[in-house]
Amino acid sequence: MTYVEVDVDAKIDAEVDVDLDPRRDYPLAAHRPDLLRTPTGRRIDEITMSALLAGEIGPEDIRITPATLRLQAQIAEKVGLPQLAQNFRRAAELTSLSDEDVLTIYNTLRPRAATREQLTDIADRLERDHGATLCAELVREAADVYERRGILAG
Amino acid sequence: MSGSAPARRSRRTEILENRPVNLDGFVEEWPEVGMVAMDSPYDPTPSVRVEGGVIVEMDGRERADFDFLDQFIADHAIDVTATEKAMALDPVEIAHLLVDPKVSRREVLDVSRGLTPAALLEVVKTMNVVEMMMALQKMRARRTPANQAHSTSARDNPVQVAADAAEGALRGFRELETTLGVVRYAPLVAIALQVGAQAAVPGALTQCALEEATELELGMRGITAYAETISVYGTESVFCDGDDTPWSKTFLASAYASRGIKMRFTSGTGSEVQMGNAEGRSMLYLEIRCILVTRGAGVQGLQNGSISCIGVPGAVPAGIRAVLAENLIASTVGLECASGNDQSFSHSDMRRTARLLPQLLPGTDFICSGYSAVPNYDNMFAGSNLDSEDYDDWNVIQRDLQVDGALRHVGEAEILAARSRAARALQGVFAHLDLPPITDREIEAVTYAHGSKELPLRDVLEDLKGAQSVMDRGITGLDIVRGLDAAGFPDMAESFLGVLRHRVSGDLLHTAAILTPELETLSAVNDANDYAGPGSGYRPTGARWEQMKRLRHVVSARNPEEEVG
Repeated sequence: MTYVEVDVDAKIDAEVDVDLDPRRDYPLAAHRPDLLRTPTGRRIDEITMSALLAGEIGPEDIRITPATLRLQAQIAEKVGLPQLAQNFRRAAELTSLSDEDVLTIYNTLRPRAATREQLTDIADRLERDHGATLCAELVREAADVYERRGILAG
Repeated sequence: MSGSAPARRSRRTEILENRPVNLDGFVEEWPEVGMVAMDSPYDPTPSVRVEGGVIVEMDGRERADFDFLDQFIADHAIDVTATEKAMALDPVEIAHLLVDPKVSRREVLDVSRGLTPAALLEVVKTMNVVEMMMALQKMRARRTPANQAHSTSARDNPVQVAADAAEGALRGFRELETTLGVVRYAPLVAIALQVGAQAAVPGALTQCALEEATELELGMRGITAYAETISVYGTESVFCDGDDTPWSKTFLASAYASRGIKMRFTSGTGSEVQMGNAEGRSMLYLEIRCILVTRGAGVQGLQNGSISCIGVPGAVPAGIRAVLAENLIASTVGLECASGNDQSFSHSDMRRTARLLPQLLPGTDFICSGYSAVPNYDNMFAGSNLDSEDYDDWNVIQRDLQVDGALRHVGEAEILAARSRAARALQGVFAHLDLPPITDREIEAVTYAHGSKELPLRDVLEDLKGAQSVMDRGITGLDIVRGLDAAGFPDMAESFLGVLRHRVSGDLLHTAAILTPELETLSAVNDANDYAGPGSGYRPTGARWEQMKRLRHVVSARNPEEEVG
């Protein structure tokens, strides 16, 4: 399925400025539901059986938003896990990619699956079309290492 | 080795010869090919050199000569600002920090984030197994221990998987894992596992172990709740043979997080030897590289403890000590550890218990990363160190030692009700989704069965068509929720929707997260291990201890004729 961009995202992104305290605010579902939205702008407590049975809830309503992932990155950072935080920030960038695109990029990153040009092209598209600078950086780094270690295609 | 056997053998030798332990395989060490647990003359000497904020030498190798693991670890796993200070410490001194209860977990993490693979190896080489257990008790991420079950079927029978999942959750497992004999069956069996998981005690997370891309697809659809079969390896050539690199796996990790799905990597001692290229390093040295790749990728946790290669470390001297050491190191660098005790490795009951205790006694995030919730012949992960015949032994050991192995004894009536309910709910979901029917006869059989041999055969061809249609029609977790409700199981629908709702919050993405039966997240963030010596940390008390006191047969002390259950 393709992720649908909606206006509410801009508002949620603004709320990432919140300064979270892991001890007080985590788990967010229990302590800060006010900060959580679905990609369609729904509040987490609006994901109910009655809404589902009324046909109001679709698969996009049980997906995480980039804003929420950045909040969780803040928590990871504050409990001393910078790599985990970085993973969440890369994930935030990937929320706007379709499942199919995500799987394609993954398969392209496998050893001997792509030329340097193909990897560079993916990195450029990630950056240009999705603002995915961290993921683009990861793919470019892979291209460099794969070249040095001889695991590009061909 | 002794010479040829004498013509006349002693009766004692004959008796020993026939003990189950002598069916196990043992080999001598051969360090040149990596057949050595953790003490090899060919492992590198710890070193680090930082220039301009970049690690330019690590464990005796210059940056220009780094293989891709070295580079990934140096650039992503090790904290450049902490490494020179941490590497200046003596390995014995670091081991003391690990063992000393007065040194907090956090203080150890501040040191471990600067250590190279060879340095971590030197630290654990100074420790015996009791010291490692002391350290693990403090270093495991989550305060409350948990456990994971395998729920599989030799015939990929979804009805069986659902019933065993329900029983497993009732007995205490917080994660349930399945896999397949016939891979095309996966969608039906994954649905069955998910439905069964909600039947009695809700909130157990489910996964279906498959090839990486397929596993991700089932996760994205909300049919499974977490992923674990994301293998990493300790040498470049074996990593490539596994058709991945640290970068592809890092991308995959972010892909899971981008869908709000919990995941961990998998690795273990012996995999590189088994796959034929250990580059002459010890099993543990290579495993430490896997552990650091996991941290570098920003993954919250790791399943390790040799896992499917346990026969390899199990065959060499100090191999089981090395397996404990790998669990300890995963915990020591801040990862959730699902600590093995899964694939079977010994014919000896005594030996498989000895292999279990180093994880059970200190407690880990998941003591087994799969306990087989089915009989051995039904276990599609090639058997487990513990299986469904061992439930009572496990519960007695917990009670004897007052150690929380995260399981409990459940009376038969409750188990029968849970198994039957899971099968009936699956019958309803299959009918709702227009999948091959489940008969009342199957439900009756699975309620009372031990394994797949006692179940009516299903029409495999029809099931496989149904499985394909699940994928073709784009069925998601929400369709299963609707099916549960339509079939008259609104509470199960509600709890599965509750599990799916957690994707929106991302709370389960944090270290060692599980859901409680009340569907609350418990992770290293809000349930951080606070062990600080005697009188501190997690100890089973109160209601949990009362639960652990119950066994199949306990008699009244006042009236020995009366069973108190």
